[in-house]
Amino acid sequence: MGLFLVHNERTRASVIQSLKVMLYPAKYGLERWSYVLQRISGVVVSLYFIAHVVETGNFVGGPTVWGPVSYEAAKRSYEAAEALLKNPVFDIGLGIIGFLVAFHTFNGIRLILAHFGVTLGKPSRPEPPYLPASFSNKQRAIFWLSIAAGVFAILYTIDSLMGVFR
Amino acid sequence: MRERNIMLLHYATGLGILVFGAVHVFVVFFTYPLQGTIWETTLKFDNIPFAILPVYRNAILAASLWGLLLCTTIHSMNGLRVIFLELLGERAAMRVVSRVLYLVGAIIMIYGTRTIIVANMIT
Repeated sequence: MGLFLVHNERTRASVIQSLKVMLYPAKYGLERWSYVLQRISGVVVSLYFIAHVVETGNFVGGPTVWGPVSYEAAKRSYEAAEALLKNPVFDIGLGIIGFLVAFHTFNGIRLILAHFGVTLGKPSRPEPPYLPASFSNKQRAIFWLSIAAGVFAILYTIDSLMGVFR
Repeated sequence: MRERNIMLLHYATGLGILVFGAVHVFVVFFTYPLQGTIWETTLKFDNIPFAILPVYRNAILAASLWGLLLCTTIHSMNGLRVIFLELLGERAAMRVVSRVLYLVGAIIMIYGTRTIIVANMIT
């Protein structure tokens, strides 16, 4: 969407350049990975959220229903919508969404803490090799914790879909 | 609104999603007694605790769903705005982006609120 809003040729090239920079985390350390994953997970989960509102809307009969519905009609449209969702593609998607939501949550808490200066330590004189003070050991720990939370979410999704860990 | 206050709102809605989303996940996944897998149990339409319809019928759970809808809409629309701001950074372009995102957010809110109210009234 944004690309069509920029009419100037030079600016359009710079927007594409910044998109490439935004999505290329390698060689810039772990903080950059957390930045890119936070953006990607945010966009994907936003799209999932819109799809989820549409899908739950179908459970009561879709966009044409704006008044009371009977129990039988709701049950019928619910079963029709549920049959559509019984699909391995959606199951895999649910696992990915679980990972992204869990990661986004914990990494977001890390960002809130960093914004208010918690876990950053005291300011000090910059000395070579200029390691970024914004990504302290505690921050790193929370980053790996958020990855672990995402993996746990995948395992929990697999378990709730197939019941393998019981 | 100033950028500083927008980011505070972003964090507040993020924490709101944490609370309401915890209730939502609890209602969806921690269901009992199990009939088959968790997913098969929780996607039953009615007649067991925390199936689809009982959640919407319960006024407190329906209200917490609406809170989740509100927080997620604000949080996701502002998140997309921040990404566009980082990519474009132009005041004129951002005005268009903001208007489109306000419109999308309003549509999501109206449609989602309708679903919650309609499902709440099913007896």
